[in-house]
Amino acid sequence: MSTIRILVVISLIISSFVLGSCSKKEESQFENYVHEPLKSSIKGMDPVISSDLYSGIVMGQIYSTLLQYNYLQRPIIVEPLDADGMPQISKDQKTYTFKIKKGLMFHDSPVFKATSGKGREVTAEDYIYSWKRLADPSAHSDGFWVFEGKVKGFKEWRDEAVKLGKANYSQAVPGLTAVDQHTLKIELEKPYPQLLFVLTMIPAAVLPHEAIEFHGPEFQNNPVGSGPYKFHSWVRNSTIVLDRNPNYMNEVYPSKGEPSDSANGNLADAGKKLPLNEGVVFTETVEDQPRFLNFRKGVFDWVEIPKDNFDSAVKNDELASDMVQQGVRLTKYVDPDVTFDSFNMDDPIVGGAKGKFLRQAISLTVDPAELIKKFYNDRAVPAHGPIPPSISGYDPDLKNPYKGPRLEKAKELLKKAGYPGGQGLPELKYETYQGSTARQIVEYLQQRASLIGVKIKINANTWPEFLQKQKQRKAQMFGMAWSADYPDAENFLQLFYGPNGSPGPNNSNYNNPEFNKLYEQASVMPDNAARNVIYRKMVALVVEDTPWIFDTHRKSYVLQNGWFHNHKRNLMNLNYIKYYRVDKEAKAQLKKKL
Amino acid sequence: MLVYLGRRILSVIPVIFGVTLITFILFNLVGGDPVYQRLGKHGSEAEIVILRHEMGLDLPLLQQYVFYLKQCMTFDFGRSWATQQKITTMIGDGIGASLSLAIPAFSITIILSILISILIAFFRNTPFDRMLQVLCLAGISISSLVYVIAGQYFFGYKWGVFPISGYDPSWSGRWEYLYLPIVIWLLVSIGNEVLLYRTAILDEVYQDYVRTARAKGLSEKVVLLKHVLKNSMIPIITAVIIEIPFLFTGALILEAFYGIPGLGGMVVQGISNSDFPVVKAMTYISAVLYVAFNLITDICYAVVDPRIKLE
Repeated sequence: MSTIRILVVISLIISSFVLGSCSKKEESQFENYVHEPLKSSIKGMDPVISSDLYSGIVMGQIYSTLLQYNYLQRPIIVEPLDADGMPQISKDQKTYTFKIKKGLMFHDSPVFKATSGKGREVTAEDYIYSWKRLADPSAHSDGFWVFEGKVKGFKEWRDEAVKLGKANYSQAVPGLTAVDQHTLKIELEKPYPQLLFVLTMIPAAVLPHEAIEFHGPEFQNNPVGSGPYKFHSWVRNSTIVLDRNPNYMNEVYPSKGEPSDSANGNLADAGKKLPLNEGVVFTETVEDQPRFLNFRKGVFDWVEIPKDNFDSAVKNDELASDMVQQGVRLTKYVDPDVTFDSFNMDDPIVGGAKGKFLRQAISLTVDPAELIKKFYNDRAVPAHGPIPPSISGYDPDLKNPYKGPRLEKAKELLKKAGYPGGQGLPELKYETYQGSTARQIVEYLQQRASLIGVKIKINANTWPEFLQKQKQRKAQMFGMAWSADYPDAENFLQLFYGPNGSPGPNNSNYNNPEFNKLYEQASVMPDNAARNVIYRKMVALVVEDTPWIFDTHRKSYVLQNGWFHNHKRNLMNLNYIKYYRVDKEAKAQLKKKL
Repeated sequence: MLVYLGRRILSVIPVIFGVTLITFILFNLVGGDPVYQRLGKHGSEAEIVILRHEMGLDLPLLQQYVFYLKQCMTFDFGRSWATQQKITTMIGDGIGASLSLAIPAFSITIILSILISILIAFFRNTPFDRMLQVLCLAGISISSLVYVIAGQYFFGYKWGVFPISGYDPSWSGRWEYLYLPIVIWLLVSIGNEVLLYRTAILDEVYQDYVRTARAKGLSEKVVLLKHVLKNSMIPIITAVIIEIPFLFTGALILEAFYGIPGLGGMVVQGISNSDFPVVKAMTYISAVLYVAFNLITDICYAVVDPRIKLE
């Protein structure tokens, strides 16, 4: 009898413990904050070492940069943020002089011992210090590429640090000068028109040296910046809370946008001081279902529609009627990215001039409409070249002659390649990573290629193995996507520049001297019609040589709850939360309908 | 007893050593190069060389292995390669959430399973017994993902009984978010546990000493609860204690779907990122826990069954 008694007592204790300790949670203190899901866990909040998108989104709110993208205008333009106006640029395009706004303050923090915790003013020296950290080998930075080989003497400064095993921060970088407290001069090795874009990016953000000295490696968990939000808390793999920075600069909501911005209410807050909300709660929600259901329950203000929930949310490309009645809005965007299947141009079968007809033949087997319908819920547009719409240099009239489905032409080219009906062609190897959708897309390509007699074997890899095979030039074929770092076609065309071959970003190892020459010519030119002509020639070369099968430019379908305003997507602009507005009264009403 | 313990602890050393060696070899053979992952899409050849040096990957393998052994001895595994976070902090942050889910869920499952198994044994070979067996088998046959997804959809979204997902690190706030995953854990595990314990109990029911007890005129309730249950505890203890180390490593699917920031996600991310410091820390800790709980199992045998002597 004693055993059963013990069991019952234990179960009662556990049950009462669990039940008793649960009380109705108090009304969230973050009710007036923006509630945003993150699709992945963040790594940390140090701009030098956390280059992934989701860490970048969090950091985009905490830190500030010299420049930023205009929130509403398209084509995307750059405007000053910490800078007091756009820079003075020398005639040779090699010297940029920035004035930094006066009175721009870092967040209040105990790291500022001299001012008893009051944030001090941001200076030109702070920018130089922050950028030196990118080049400090002991900081393990993955963002130095933004300045590497561009700023005068910066590479040598880094080389010296590597040689000595320690960076010397007191040693000057010849190309970075603090002319005075509020003037920063950047001198370049050669013209770098993309400099204005990279100065909007998180690796180029300013941070105080006191915070690094105070926290050491733990700075990434205790960020101090000068952006619109202050760090409040982070529960690892769960939530990050940021509070509005009461001392944020006098920045106002933009008053100019696209014509559609007036119609959809995105200009209603023109001229109002930013941020328009009290803070933000980011919730790391890796799985699609809880992310979508939490949006539908009103926990999250907006969400991208996951693949498996698409049919319940969108009917005939319009928002489902039940959601319309609940005040939900749907917005569609073409993202600045390209998905592709790459050939390794070093490979003796598919690579080089010898493999050209084979590559073109395989490209012609793919049916883009079917691909987009099957795997993207129609949320993509066919890619004819590497440059996506919305990126400067995109050619809307480009028609890729090797875009399928044209099986007869593909068979003809395969015969010209020396493999009639696939005879004599060894089985090709396609490397992919272990994701179900990625694998299904490759199986589709495998099935299409088999229609002309080309056999493809699929190898699924872990992500690091997959990268290793590409970087060591061991992948014969592989699938990838590239998302724009900045709105310039150069960011896509550099993926075909010979000297950028693996382990650089050109993992197809395409190396065409004519293309390389054009790239070198265009890369120092400002954005103008002459440069676009060169870009078109470069695109024509890669289309003809087909180092990639150009698949799609993906589209995002974003749902917003009725109380949430001013959402406008730009994947390159990460400091967007300050523009969001949550209507408290509408939220209270509309949540009842959910 | 002390001699036995000393001998067992000594015998554990080569096991742990073997685990570290296999982990190290496997990681270096099939793990993929973490440097490419760390540098992202813009890594250049020069940066790869610098980072490989910073990560100690340019050292001879033997030297890397000795460094790993030193870390195991001190339980200081340094920082994650993928996130640069301190691993002891990562584990410290995750273990509370993992155990907050696992301990109540596991305990309730075990207690309920034992109670149901005794009930089944009492009504053995009756329609009630058969019905419960069918229910348990049906429960096992359904994929755990179905429970997780359907539970979240109906209890969380449709009926609003529990939050859909989330976590509050405060002691009193966390339970609101743990109810549903605990219920799902119970549903996923109970069928299997009940069938296992039922078999253990029924194995004892037909022993001679049980027949003797009945012949002495003891009631069926006394026979089951006093004699049969105690003797069937050995296989039950084995099954229960061996499962305990896995509670520390987290319930991956439940944690991912219900937003519980436990160790399950950390382990999977560590493997998929080729984050060797995280993988080796978790492998080593799991191995130590596994052998420790094995030892505890042996000691428990002696406690519940006086016939067993630890020699």
